[in-house]
Amino acid sequence: MSKESRMKATVNQKLTEMGERERLKELLRAKLTECGWKDQMKAHCKEVIKEKGLEQITVEDLVVEVTPKGRALVPDSVKKELLHRIRTFLSQHGT
Amino acid sequence: MSPAGCPHVSSFKVDNWKQNLRVIYQCFVWSGSAETRKRKAKSCICHMCGAHLNRLHSCLYCVFFACFAKKHIHEHAKSKRHNLAIDLLYGGIYCFMCQDYIYDKDMEQIAKEEQRKAWKMQGMPHYTALVISPRQHSTGEKYSTWEPTKRELELLRHNPKRRRITSNCTIGLRGLINLGNTCFMNCIVQALTHTPLLRDFFLSDRHKCEMQSNSCLVCEMSQLFQEFYSGHRSPHIPFRLLHLVWTHARHLAGYEQQDAHEFLIAALDVLHRHCKDDNGKKANNPNHCNCIIDQIFTGGLQSDVTCQVCHGVSTTIDPFWDISLDLPGSSTPFWPLSPGGDGSALNGESHATGATTLTDCLRRFTRPEHLGSSAKIKCSGCHSYQESTKQLTMKKLPIVACFHLKRFEHSAKLRRKITTYVSFPLELDMTPFMASSKESRMNGQYQLAVDPFNNDNKYSLFAVVNHQGTLESGHYTTFIRQHKDQWFKCDDAIITKASIKDVLDSEG
Repeated sequence: MSKESRMKATVNQKLTEMGERERLKELLRAKLTECGWKDQMKAHCKEVIKEKGLEQITVEDLVVEVTPKGRALVPDSVKKELLHRIRTFLSQHGT
Repeated sequence: MSPAGCPHVSSFKVDNWKQNLRVIYQCFVWSGSAETRKRKAKSCICHMCGAHLNRLHSCLYCVFFACFAKKHIHEHAKSKRHNLAIDLLYGGIYCFMCQDYIYDKDMEQIAKEEQRKAWKMQGMPHYTALVISPRQHSTGEKYSTWEPTKRELELLRHNPKRRRITSNCTIGLRGLINLGNTCFMNCIVQALTHTPLLRDFFLSDRHKCEMQSNSCLVCEMSQLFQEFYSGHRSPHIPFRLLHLVWTHARHLAGYEQQDAHEFLIAALDVLHRHCKDDNGKKANNPNHCNCIIDQIFTGGLQSDVTCQVCHGVSTTIDPFWDISLDLPGSSTPFWPLSPGGDGSALNGESHATGATTLTDCLRRFTRPEHLGSSAKIKCSGCHSYQESTKQLTMKKLPIVACFHLKRFEHSAKLRRKITTYVSFPLELDMTPFMASSKESRMNGQYQLAVDPFNNDNKYSLFAVVNHQGTLESGHYTTFIRQHKDQWFKCDDAIITKASIKDVLDSEG
C-alpha cells in the first residue's frame, strides 16, 4: 500500500474508533439535504429509473449512473466545512 | 424486488441465522459501543487489497471482507459459492445470484432494530415525526423516512386529493380583506403565517384545545393556517380573528388606526395564554411554559448594572418577544455612534453610504449606558446609593427574532414618525451582541473567535413589515419570504411578487 493510502487508513481508523465518522456522516447528510443536493439526486434517480424501466433496474445501475453527477454537484462550501471538521478533529486528537 | 426477498436467502436462514446477522450488524455496520467501533476500525478492510473505501462488503457465510467496487467480493462469492453479502455502509443485503440488492422482510426488520440500538448508544435520539425542538439541540436529531401506520394509510385512501408543490406555486399566499383600518392586524398575520416553525406546528395539528368556549385564539390561528394553505386564491376575511382579538385585547378594539407592534405583542400574549392550556399547566408560571409561542419567540435579555464605586455587577435576565430599537433622530441621546466595530464587520456592512444599519441600532442597544447622578441605584456591595452603568446583552436568542424600529415617537414635546431609512441584511449574526461575547471581551479576548461554520447565532430574514404615511394616517404592508426564497408583498387583499431589492430597500 502506498504511503498515502496508509495514511488514509490510519485517519479512517481514528475517526471510526472515536465515533467521529458517524457524526461526520450525519453532518454531511444534514448539509446535503439543506442545500437541496438530496432532492436533486432523488430527481435524477427517478429519471434513470424511468429510462431503464422499473423491472429491470438494479441498484448497481443506479450507482453507476448517479455517482459522477452526485460527486460533481456537492457544493464547495460543504466540502470545505467537512474538511475543516476533520482537520480540527485530527489536530485535537493528534495523529 | 419483492418484500419476500429472493429465493436464495433460504439457504442462509438456517440454525441461528438471526443472531448471527445481528452480530454482523452490531459489529461491522452500525457499531454503537466504543468496543465494537474499535474492532470495526481495525478489521474492516478488504482482505484482498487492504482498502477501506471502495464500498466494503462482508460475506454472510464466512468472515471475509472485500471491496464491491473492485469486484473483490464478487470473486469470493464465485469461488466459494457464498451468494450473500452485506454492505457495510448501509446494511443492504446483496445476492450474487439475483445480481442485485434484495429486501427480505425478516432481515430488514433486524437491520432496523440494530440501527436504532446503535443510535441510542451513540446518544442520537430517533424521531420519525416532526418534532419542534429548540434550535440549539437540532444537531442531535436523527431523521428517518416516514412510514405510514395502518390508520394513516386508511386516511390517505379516503382522502385522495393531493396537492403538488412546485417551485413556482403560490401555496400559503392569500390576501386579507381590510375590515376598516385593520391593516395593522393583516400585516402581522401575514408575517405569522409565513413563520416556518409556526406554520409547521399548526399544519401538523398540534394544538389540542382545552378551552370550553369558542374563544380560543390558538384554534382560530389553526383555522387561519388551514385557510392560508388551502390553495384558495381569493382573499380571506378575518372577521372571526378580529372579533377574538377585540375580546381578548380590549385596548386594541375599535376602528381607529392601531400600532402593528402592539398587535404583535398582544397576539403573542393571548396565544401564549391560550396555549398554556395545552400543557395542562393551568398555573400561571411564566418561567416554565413550554408552549409553541415560548419555544419560538421567547428570548432572554440580560441586564447588567455595574456599580461605579465597587464595580459589583447585579444581573437580571428578563424574557422578551421582540427587540425594540431606538433610531437616530429620536430625542433619545447617544447617537451618533462611531462607525465600524465588531457588529458591522461581521455582518458585511460598509459605512460608505452613511446609512444607518440594523447592527448600528443593535450596538446602541447593547452599549453600556451611564445612568447619571439622578438615577442612582442601591448597590448591594456598597450598601448605599451609587452611580452605575447599565448594559443590555442577549443571554438567550429566540428562534425567531422580531426587531421593532421605534419610528413612532410619543414624547411630551411632540408626536411624530421618524422616517430615517435603516438598512438591514438578509443574514444577521447576533454573536457580537450576546452576553457570552461581552464576557470574552471583558476577559481580554479582543479578537472575537469567529467560527464561520457555527450557525447558532445566525438569522435569515423572512418577513419585513413597513408603514407608509404619517402617525395619524398610514398604512401597513408586509414583505414575506415564501417557499425557496421567493419574496411577495402583502398589501391587505393584494399579493404581488417582489424582488429581494424591493425588500432590502424598504424602510423597515
